[in-house]
Amino acid sequence: MTRMPSSSKSSRLPIFLQLPATIVIWSLVGYVLPWLIFTLFHRYPLGRSAEFVGLGNIIMMFQDKRLYGAVLRTIYYAGLGTLIEVLLGMAVALALVNLIKNEKIRFAVLMLFLLPMCLSEAVASIIWIMLATPEGYLNCFLRALGIKPIPWLSTRWSLTTLMIADIWQWTPLPLLLIYAARTSIPAEAYEVAELDRLSPWTTFRVVTWPYIKYAVVVAALFRLILMYITIDKFIMITYGGPGHASEVIGFYVFLQSFGYRNIGYAATLSFATLIVAAIITYFFWSMFRRM
Amino acid sequence: MSWKKILGLIGLAIYGLWALGPYYLTVITSFKKLTDVFSIPPKIIPYVDFTPTLEAYERVFTTRAIWTFVTSLIVASAGTIIAIVVGLLAAYGFSRFPKAPMNDERSFFILLTLRMLPPFAVVLPIVTYWVFLGLIDTYLALIWTYAIFSVPLAVWLIKGFVDEIPKSIEDAAMADGYGFGARLRKIVIPLLGAGLAATVALTWLFLWNEFLFALKVAGGKVVTYTAYLPQLRLGQRTLWNVYGAMGTLGSIPPLLILIIFRRYIIRLYLGGR
Repeated sequence: MTRMPSSSKSSRLPIFLQLPATIVIWSLVGYVLPWLIFTLFHRYPLGRSAEFVGLGNIIMMFQDKRLYGAVLRTIYYAGLGTLIEVLLGMAVALALVNLIKNEKIRFAVLMLFLLPMCLSEAVASIIWIMLATPEGYLNCFLRALGIKPIPWLSTRWSLTTLMIADIWQWTPLPLLLIYAARTSIPAEAYEVAELDRLSPWTTFRVVTWPYIKYAVVVAALFRLILMYITIDKFIMITYGGPGHASEVIGFYVFLQSFGYRNIGYAATLSFATLIVAAIITYFFWSMFRRM
Repeated sequence: MSWKKILGLIGLAIYGLWALGPYYLTVITSFKKLTDVFSIPPKIIPYVDFTPTLEAYERVFTTRAIWTFVTSLIVASAGTIIAIVVGLLAAYGFSRFPKAPMNDERSFFILLTLRMLPPFAVVLPIVTYWVFLGLIDTYLALIWTYAIFSVPLAVWLIKGFVDEIPKSIEDAAMADGYGFGARLRKIVIPLLGAGLAATVALTWLFLWNEFLFALKVAGGKVVTYTAYLPQLRLGQRTLWNVYGAMGTLGSIPPLLILIIFRRYIIRLYLGGR
């Protein structure tokens, strides 16, 4: 009876399903991208209208020594941070499954370990300000133990302190992903390994690793991207300082945008970092889809 | 028990101390008098080392600090509702019509890419956009921005749950003359059930936790609790116990969500950030 009209309607249905989301998203993105591309060719002197500078901003970017410093700090912060988060997360995940056999207790412990990840970056920041401030908890403990206090937020330490704070908050993510992969391994695999008298290292290499390797790679890429794009702790805890000591790429773009208000140059940096992020994300997705 | 096992358990205990210790210190700080906060040796056990007081909470509840939580609640909830409604439709399309235009894998990928783009690189144009519309620092601007950034995550998560609903159920309903709206209302949404609830919870949680857009798209008249935190540092001396109280209050919703949706947390964070 109503077969014909409903089937002709259903051929248009897929597009109607996408319309609301598409409209919502492009209402903003449709402005953001053209604005960035227009602005990156301009200069905005205070109180005067836009001035066309051609490739001026892009040339400035390649000559910006401060940006190179920020790039090196980002590599240190995100690279070393990701490495530690993934290794620590893997160690804890495997230890949990191997050492706690009661599943209820193990799950409860896992939930406790996940707590830092659920908090806001801003709340994690105030936690770490309390710990790291010169008279703060970390130094209270050090002094109580008779150890010389460490200037956690000094030029020498601030970037490392931020990395430690991120490790505290986000090790749970690799931990969770690797835990999920580890619990999917059938117990028989380990029984066979035991019968064959494989050493713990060989068991890890032959039995565990093939199952968890994708979780490890995905967790690592995920953390790498997110350490690159998240600057909340930098704004809250050190504001890039002291001096430029904790100035990473993201924070530098933020500072050019809202601190110095170099609108044209900030747009150039934004656009360049967007492209870098898109490339990393593409790499990530092609990896993720192969899982 | 072998010595290896004991060593391993000690290692796990140390990790537990590291994971929970900082949070514990924050919570007890909120119950301290300002003079008790950083003492040497540190006071860490309530009723033994120090007498708990509600001083800090009194301060939070009698100043505008408490209203920043209400603001966070409003913008996170409104943003979530928009994202889930448009996200559910899109996710259904991606799941059921993977060959149709705008529903194919490429469109899905473009949508997900949005999620991984650096907020710091788009916050300036977004602020410009809202200034241009004369809506900067309003509820509408922050809610709309939040909705846009939540859609990709909502779509991704819901698509996974829709994929699990057998298409045959819907085909049977279609044969009985159910239109699209009726199928969605009577079959898809009820079958999504807890998965949809968990998606709502996670979407909401990310918005509750959001900081950068809250600070720059709003932050003057419309202040979320995360955007309020930096303002606490501007005074003559830092009120550490108020800091602790704000952090503790802000962490209550995440903890509740972690407890209620614990069975889904593994799946959700595979899809979330």
